[in-house]
Amino acid sequence: ELWKGEEKMSIVPKETIEVIAQSIGITNLSPEAALMLAPDVEYRVREIMQEAIKCMRHSKRTTLTASDVDGALNLRNLEPIYGFGSGGPIRFRKAIGHRDLFYTDDREVDFKDVIEAPLPKAPLDTEIVCHWLAIEGVQPAIPENAPLEVIRAPAENQIYQQKDGPLIDIRLPVKHVLSKELQLYFQKIAELTMSKSNPSLFKEALVSLASDSGLHPLVPYFTNFIADEVSRGLNDFLLLFNLMHVVRSLLQNPHIHIEPYLHQLMPSVVTCLVSRKLGNRFADNHWDLRDFTANLVALICKRFGNTYVTLQSRLTKTLVNALLDPKKALTQHYGAIQGLAALGHNVVRLLVLSNLEPYLSLLEPELDAEKQKNQMKSYEAWRVYGALLRAAGLCIHDRLKIFPNLPSPSPSLLNKGKGKVINTEPNKRKLSVDSSENRSPRKRLIATDGSDGGPSPMQVDRPTGDANPPQNSVHPSSSEQASGGNAPESRNAKENQGSKGRTITRKAILDQIWKDDLDSGRLLVKLHQLYGDRILPFIPSTEMSLFL
Amino acid sequence: MDPEQVDEFVMGYLKKKGFNSAAKHLQESLHNNNGSTFSSIDYHNDPELNKLIRSFSQSENDPSRYREGYSKLRSWGYNSLDLYKHELVRVMYPVFIHCYMDLVGKGHTQEARSFFNSFRKDHEMVHLRDLQKLGGVLAPSHLQEMEFARSLRQSKINIKICQYSYDLLLQYLHRTESTLMLGIINEHINFQVYSGQPNSASDDIEAVTIVGSFHETADHVNQKEIHWGLLEDSLEDRLEKTGGLLSDSEKGQGESKAGDMDDSKKRSAEIGKQGSSIKKLKKDKAGTATTKVARQETSTVLSSMPRVKPELAMPVMSTDVEESILEDLRNRVQLSSVAMPSVSFYTFVNTHNGLNSSSISHDGSLVAGGFSDSSIKVWDMAKIGQAGSCGLQDENNQTVGLNGRRNYTLLVGHSGPVYSATFSPPGDYVLSSSADTTIRLWSTKLNANLVCYKGHNHTVWDAQFSPFGHYFASCSHDRTARIWSMDRMQPLRMMAGHLSDVDCVQWHPNCNYIATGSSDKTVRLWDVQTGECVRIFIGHRSMVLSLAMSPDGRYMASGDEDGTIMMWDLSTARCITPLMGHNSCVWTLSYSGEGSLLASGSADCTVKLWDVSSSTKLTKAEEKNGNSNRLRSLRTFPTKSTPVHALRFSRRNLLFAAGAISKPSS
Repeated sequence: ELWKGEEKMSIVPKETIEVIAQSIGITNLSPEAALMLAPDVEYRVREIMQEAIKCMRHSKRTTLTASDVDGALNLRNLEPIYGFGSGGPIRFRKAIGHRDLFYTDDREVDFKDVIEAPLPKAPLDTEIVCHWLAIEGVQPAIPENAPLEVIRAPAENQIYQQKDGPLIDIRLPVKHVLSKELQLYFQKIAELTMSKSNPSLFKEALVSLASDSGLHPLVPYFTNFIADEVSRGLNDFLLLFNLMHVVRSLLQNPHIHIEPYLHQLMPSVVTCLVSRKLGNRFADNHWDLRDFTANLVALICKRFGNTYVTLQSRLTKTLVNALLDPKKALTQHYGAIQGLAALGHNVVRLLVLSNLEPYLSLLEPELDAEKQKNQMKSYEAWRVYGALLRAAGLCIHDRLKIFPNLPSPSPSLLNKGKGKVINTEPNKRKLSVDSSENRSPRKRLIATDGSDGGPSPMQVDRPTGDANPPQNSVHPSSSEQASGGNAPESRNAKENQGSKGRTITRKAILDQIWKDDLDSGRLLVKLHQLYGDRILPFIPSTEMSLFL
Repeated sequence: MDPEQVDEFVMGYLKKKGFNSAAKHLQESLHNNNGSTFSSIDYHNDPELNKLIRSFSQSENDPSRYREGYSKLRSWGYNSLDLYKHELVRVMYPVFIHCYMDLVGKGHTQEARSFFNSFRKDHEMVHLRDLQKLGGVLAPSHLQEMEFARSLRQSKINIKICQYSYDLLLQYLHRTESTLMLGIINEHINFQVYSGQPNSASDDIEAVTIVGSFHETADHVNQKEIHWGLLEDSLEDRLEKTGGLLSDSEKGQGESKAGDMDDSKKRSAEIGKQGSSIKKLKKDKAGTATTKVARQETSTVLSSMPRVKPELAMPVMSTDVEESILEDLRNRVQLSSVAMPSVSFYTFVNTHNGLNSSSISHDGSLVAGGFSDSSIKVWDMAKIGQAGSCGLQDENNQTVGLNGRRNYTLLVGHSGPVYSATFSPPGDYVLSSSADTTIRLWSTKLNANLVCYKGHNHTVWDAQFSPFGHYFASCSHDRTARIWSMDRMQPLRMMAGHLSDVDCVQWHPNCNYIATGSSDKTVRLWDVQTGECVRIFIGHRSMVLSLAMSPDGRYMASGDEDGTIMMWDLSTARCITPLMGHNSCVWTLSYSGEGSLLASGSADCTVKLWDVSSSTKLTKAEEKNGNSNRLRSLRTFPTKSTPVHALRFSRRNLLFAAGAISKPSS
């Protein structure tokens, strides 16, 4: 037991000493001697390792190699251990059946194999390659440098800190260092945006803005720039248009985290949508700008609506306020309508259509060429009317489209028709032109849908007959009746079609959307009252056939 | 225990304690009364006495007393009042190592080891490296042989302790009658008792290193006067004098810029990136803008510094060298925490693990590498740039160089791994040191070995030229640092005093002092003229690997194996603040030209920039407050798995870095 205890004295066991002694020819080593030697061997090994670590440090390495041990032996005036001079790390193998026993794989090599083997390649000679690790404190994103970590938006960091750190959030003023390249880039973009003289170059700049990585540090500058220029340049139509293009490009750029700057950006964008005056009232086509911006707003809401929950609600509030304020100019109303329309059909249904009747009654006098002598005003009124019509029309179209069992015309065709309507609509000034133009796409739709059978002749006839009552402004009571009559009719139609053996499952869906259907029917009738024929192009032909 | 044994023990005890006459008397009486059961004192039949003797005999030989005593003391210490705990716990470490060494010294190897292993965890955090050393001490002979252990045994450890903690400790030791622990504490600890509240746990780094009576010596040494001011009539002074001329010759600056741009073109060509030359141009422009204002600032700062006379005979500088240096100084880009430097990185490829050291000349154009195969290779980066611009087509075949030859100069002469290869300030000489114990001087013009300096007895780890050339300092495994001049075969001075290898050496900007960093975890400052040690800087927890002196001569930075960088005030020998951030060896440090930034390169594959100007200002303001200030880490530039071996701010404040790319081992 005593022996066993003393074996632990050193990490070098007695047996090792005995084995080594045997290997160098000492056979009669007494166990006591082996025991005495073991601690000393351990001490010497530690001493060598200490020196080897020094050699490793002076060779500017953090992994110990065999050459370091040789160096340490050299420092102690000892013969180095030969045979490990390859410089690379030694590969150890685990001895099978032992947990902590390793050995170097030292295989016997056949001379013949070595001699016959092809000459190994000469090792590559040492070279120096040079690159910029940093330029004025900023690491350029070149392949020689380590890949940069994803640049985190500062806002995210703050949120993170607030979650983890103490309650008191100390924000040190952060100096934003911008590299020379980025400064130049920014200048160039700003110049191009302001100059308006070189549209092709500006287009390329927009592409660059929309696609280049590494622009993130510039985002706050662009945001500032846009805000400044929009507030300053409300009379400069082209500038505003350019600025909105810049905004769109920035939004499109996948490498930019624009969220933290949205709150700064939104006022400028909304300004370009609902400002009273954007550029010259007569000469510039500010309608286009408003349309463009409306799409932009929709894009922003779509992308960031999830992260910024209040974004859309705040926006719609602004727009509805602009729309319902009778003191605001018609141009502002137009912008608000376009903006709301771009936000989707639900927004239109909830916010625009609910206010449609009173609004149209307000608009009515402006539309009348006799009452409104100012031609500009009346033009604007017609624009607003057109926008409203389009919004309502698209809304109802969308509503009706969801009825699954009605075979609607192929989407491409529908779109084509629709597109044409939208394009032509804003340009028409007179009712007569409007209706005649409206009729033509509808007829085309009907023609293609003619194969459906029965209802088509009715369609052709009906509109002419029906076209009049809305203009004469139908009484509310009759509209109630009409809707009441309309709903069962459509229901019957559907049931008929269902029984025609389309699918039975659809019936269930049908039941579910029954109420919606009913609402839509009412809506349709109401719209028809308000708009008359002009709403018709938005209604899918089959649906219209039922309605009519 | 039978009577015979008791007699024997009592005899031994009396002899050991030196009661010779009593022993003699006892022996006589034992002899006389042999066979009889009566004696003058019948201790055999007195149960009380017998018990006492028994306990005595046990305690003399029983190694478990150490464990018992120590573990009691330990648990008492750790359960003491929080306010005083850290002071009491500090007493544990010396007690622990001395218990261990006592056990080893008495031959209780097994107990010593088990004792060591059961308590080493307590001290590993602070004293890991010492413990690793001591762990190897297993036989009494090792205690004698190992210098560290010997110095520990021979000297007392100073521990500052407040009055109340001291009283607590004494009370405990007396109450529990733990004479063994009391003995160890009396023998090996020298308490410096002070009145008042205990110091906070964090602010004494001195508790960390205990190497003998080091602190006394260190305190004594650090009383000596040193003059850290810059030299009279330095180039900075001259620049300032000619400053009037300068400010109206801004055209001259423009011209020099052109030269600089040529330089940059070369460099950018070798990078082979189209954008980079533009970048460089822009950088230069930005540089000029700030330089003028900045220079005035620095010059005022520098002029306020004290001036000293050189103690060495300074070499005469040729006028064109002086001109070029002045030109560089004029065009220096002012750096600060908001104006960061550009970093040009030289990556060594295909070194096959053989690159031991690398260095960059003062203008960044030459790069030298010392290899473990005894060779030195010198690259002229400017030439490579030129060649690169005309021969980009064969870039696939990098190994063969562009003219079918290698594009470095191979210097062969050493017969052992080369551990340093550094340039003289004008870049005309290379000084190399090697494991063959020699230092060699090479000419970069002739590409030949000029002199072989023999004198060190062991591997020479580092050799550095003085800021004005001609003189150089070397340091070695033989624990000395030596001062040499180029024209003498023998060293001029020998600095002895470090307790382990001297690993790095650096000159003070005024050439009157050298600093050395050692494996004994200290940095020392030596007077070149007298060869005396004038400062000892204690605080590092591991081997010191790199040193840098601030250009104003007032501060020094040192980096160690653990990644800690310490900023020292030379006059007080106090650490201003440790710079924490690296997590592996700090191989290299470099101050920017005007001393506002410190760059550090580490084995963790990063270059870090530290704002040290704020601290300088702060210390002045805070000398009254006594606050410890914070130095900021400004930037971290990670490389692509390239440990950073060398850093150099050029005179124009462009930062050059070098390192060998290391493939992560599979």
